[in-house]
Amino acid sequence: MTELASESTAQRDTLSITVTVNGHAYTADCEPRVTLADFLRHTCGLTGTHLGCEHGVCGACTVLVDGRSARACLTLAVQADGATITTVEGLATGNTLNPLQEAFWDNHGLQCGFCTPGMLMTATELLADNPDPDAAEVRECLSGNLCRCTGYDSIVRSVLDAARRMRG
Amino acid sequence: MTIVEPDRTTYTGTRVRRTEDPRLLAGRGQYVDDVTVPKMIEAAVLRSPLAHARITGIDVSRARELPGVFDVITGRDLAAVAGEQPVIWFPIPDQRIARTHALAVDRVRWVGQAVAAVVAVNRYVAEDALELIEVDYEPLPVVADLDAALAPDAPKLYDDWPDNVSGSLTYTAGDAEAAFAEADVVVRERFTHGRAFGCPLEPRGCIVEWDDFAGTVDVHLSTQSPNLARDLLSEVLGVPVHKIRVRTPNLGGGFGNKFDFYGEEVIAAVLSRRTGRPVKLIEDRLDSFVATSHSRDQRLDFEMALRNDGTILGLRGISYGVLGGALGTVGAGPPWASVLTCMGPYKIPNLDVTVKAVVTNRSPYGSYRGWGVPKGNIVHERLIEIAARELGMDRAAIRRKNFPAPEEFPFFSGVAFTYDSGDYAACLDLAMTKVDELGWRNRQTAARAEGRSLGIGYSFHVEPSAYGPSRILNLVGLAHSGFDEVTVRMDSIGKVTVYSGQINMGQGTHTIYAQLAADGLGIPMEDVVVVTGDTDSCPYTGYGTGGSRAAPLGGAAILRATERLQAKILRVAAELLEASPDDLQIEKGVISVKGTTSRSVTTRDVGDAAYRRLLNKMPESEMPTLEEVDVFDPPNMATSYGCTALLVEVDRGTGAVTLLDCLQAHDCGTVINPMLVDGQLAGGLAQALGGALLEELVYDEEGQLRTASFMDYLLPTAMEIPPFHFFHQETPAPDIPGGIKGVGEAGTIAGVSLVASAVDDALSDLGVTVTRFPITPPRLLDLIQAARTPTGQAHTEEDAR
Repeated sequence: MTELASESTAQRDTLSITVTVNGHAYTADCEPRVTLADFLRHTCGLTGTHLGCEHGVCGACTVLVDGRSARACLTLAVQADGATITTVEGLATGNTLNPLQEAFWDNHGLQCGFCTPGMLMTATELLADNPDPDAAEVRECLSGNLCRCTGYDSIVRSVLDAARRMRG
Repeated sequence: MTIVEPDRTTYTGTRVRRTEDPRLLAGRGQYVDDVTVPKMIEAAVLRSPLAHARITGIDVSRARELPGVFDVITGRDLAAVAGEQPVIWFPIPDQRIARTHALAVDRVRWVGQAVAAVVAVNRYVAEDALELIEVDYEPLPVVADLDAALAPDAPKLYDDWPDNVSGSLTYTAGDAEAAFAEADVVVRERFTHGRAFGCPLEPRGCIVEWDDFAGTVDVHLSTQSPNLARDLLSEVLGVPVHKIRVRTPNLGGGFGNKFDFYGEEVIAAVLSRRTGRPVKLIEDRLDSFVATSHSRDQRLDFEMALRNDGTILGLRGISYGVLGGALGTVGAGPPWASVLTCMGPYKIPNLDVTVKAVVTNRSPYGSYRGWGVPKGNIVHERLIEIAARELGMDRAAIRRKNFPAPEEFPFFSGVAFTYDSGDYAACLDLAMTKVDELGWRNRQTAARAEGRSLGIGYSFHVEPSAYGPSRILNLVGLAHSGFDEVTVRMDSIGKVTVYSGQINMGQGTHTIYAQLAADGLGIPMEDVVVVTGDTDSCPYTGYGTGGSRAAPLGGAAILRATERLQAKILRVAAELLEASPDDLQIEKGVISVKGTTSRSVTTRDVGDAAYRRLLNKMPESEMPTLEEVDVFDPPNMATSYGCTALLVEVDRGTGAVTLLDCLQAHDCGTVINPMLVDGQLAGGLAQALGGALLEELVYDEEGQLRTASFMDYLLPTAMEIPPFHFFHQETPAPDIPGGIKGVGEAGTIAGVSLVASAVDDALSDLGVTVTRFPITPPRLLDLIQAARTPTGQAHTEEDAR
């Protein structure tokens, strides 16, 4: 794909960008119209960031850009030049899930797993800002992430359980 | 019959964490858009902007010239090498079946119908090229809704049909006319359910490589029914089944929408054949609103006849299925299923019920979790509550009066289904008890004292599951089967692989199959892996993963296969231990003589004896290897059921409904994993609550879809969905080994009438009756205002559209 793409895009303007994702620096030539989500998925090979709507509603593509949550489908890759990004692939250490991931596993906080990366990234930001949220705060925080499988209750319980674990 | 005895199960019935989860949580899942095949190119589809028009010309020349474009095809190109889209359900005799090709050839009949496709180096360039295709349309009169379709002078979608009616079928039982004549009370209503769809968060997609030299078609497809897809691809493409391979990666939700067979997989196949390249075609979200099966769109005119004591005498009515401009894979199946289930859990001796399938200029109608049963539930649950009000009876008492008693099972519903087992009154009582324990009535009383409108709603549902006996399915019009096949194989080191044709779309099939296989064999669950999603290596399943069948049918097949495989394992072990197989036991993979601990062998020893070092170890009478195949074709379906209760608050000033708390008492027979059962119930309820209050695919009079994004088609969020509480009864399925009943559709069936019941209760002083779904704030406000206007001069509900 990469060499094919370069054939057709040779005549298009590209910009060289460098983005640090999960601690690894990626430098690539990039058309200005390419979204950050496509850059992460295609150029970096990090397909854990999912595209559920591409119009900024479903939240499945949520990643952390310099520590703040962002919709990778509404962000252009060139806007992220120089940024430090965390995706779902950056949460576990080796093959050890982090406490938030463990809590989702224990509380059946996922079914098909498609919305899960976005849920995890949104919850990561929440728990960094507020280590002891109540259920209403968790629901409000997650209201920008759609899930079609779980009915949310188990996700809310997962995040509350994760908060307990992380507070120790 | 229960094969796994309770004292022998380690895993069945316990809250085992899912084996699927770690990689999904780590972002290592592989969904279809994550799959990259060497030399792959990417396609996009041009869709009709008009609901009904003749195509008078298509110019693709400019699109072809765009650098990076490999090919552009129109309907004529596709029809030269591919047949029309298949339909597999024909429940209505002599039904007119409206078929189309995957790309429209000369006429479009809905907004979003595919008219051309481009394949290019990537999706960006493919979409650029779509803008360069010029299509000339000659608009035709639009049949935008049911009334327009049934009007005497309606324009016709199909010139060779007498009207827009695809077909009609009536079922009768007893003598409905006499029952209505002798009734003390008759209640009747028109119920309307708007269009909605399953809307899995992962849109559909495929990668197809049609190798014209090898004669093979290799497909990655986001499908719930890989065997069906392979058979249908064979029919449409004319390629023999054995040369087609369908692989299903992780599915990002299915909900029935991914059961159906779509034109996109055919388009990708044709593009692949023409270009000699693997072609990826991923539906984007905007495509999904017009190209993924729509559902739910129905009008139900029904009436119920009762005695003064609340005994139901009869039910009659018509279910209109508002189909689209062509029939989808399942035809008129869901509106038909509404008729089969409109009597619900009640004994109704006299029935006269009709399904009428009507075509309109809307997207094709297809499968969505619940498959018509949610609207059957609206009929019986709304009418019985309206009757209770009319008779001054308690809502629970009138339900209890009409349930079949436990000893009356198996119970024939009067139309098609024979409910296998149950204790409906106990389930109702369990729900009512929990409502009290959770203090809902006190909350309601306290809120009312403050002038707030809280309501408690109930819905009792039946869920015919474990679809289904193959010959009966054939008899009622399915051109496919309903059995399930499984292979259980122990390998040379004593570990086990279960191969199934079922698909894992989020419900946890791999986990529950590993639980059942481990218990069936007497080995640790971590010694079992489950493989699904590849027609080359996995067995055949009839139907697919739908109809709440993966747990009961796949589960039963696993239990039957493991019972035989365990017997063989014990025979081999008996040779190793110089004992009789009858004297042996197996626990945690260790085989020993019952009552002793001195001598034992492990499954590792047995695997080695069966595969590698057979001499003096493998009985000569035994075939080498350790493998069992089972095919389970159920003698009857398994009917799950439940009683759901909901606490809501209605804002009389805005018509907004807030969901405060929800509980369900449920019986799906043997519970394999209560955590996963609860997950199924909660997820289904959330979809139903969204459908009851928020979600609607709204068409205008020109047949334009007005809610084609998540800004307008509102999925419920964590802010709208309440907490859930689940309580289980276990009445084993008598016809399914293991006693397992299905659970996948319970929530969607129960949840819509449930909200109406709660809203009615919140507004009981006004006498409001909700009959139209979704219950949007303007519609409810209209009902409230109408109820407050004594002269009946208020707006009608229709005005609120």
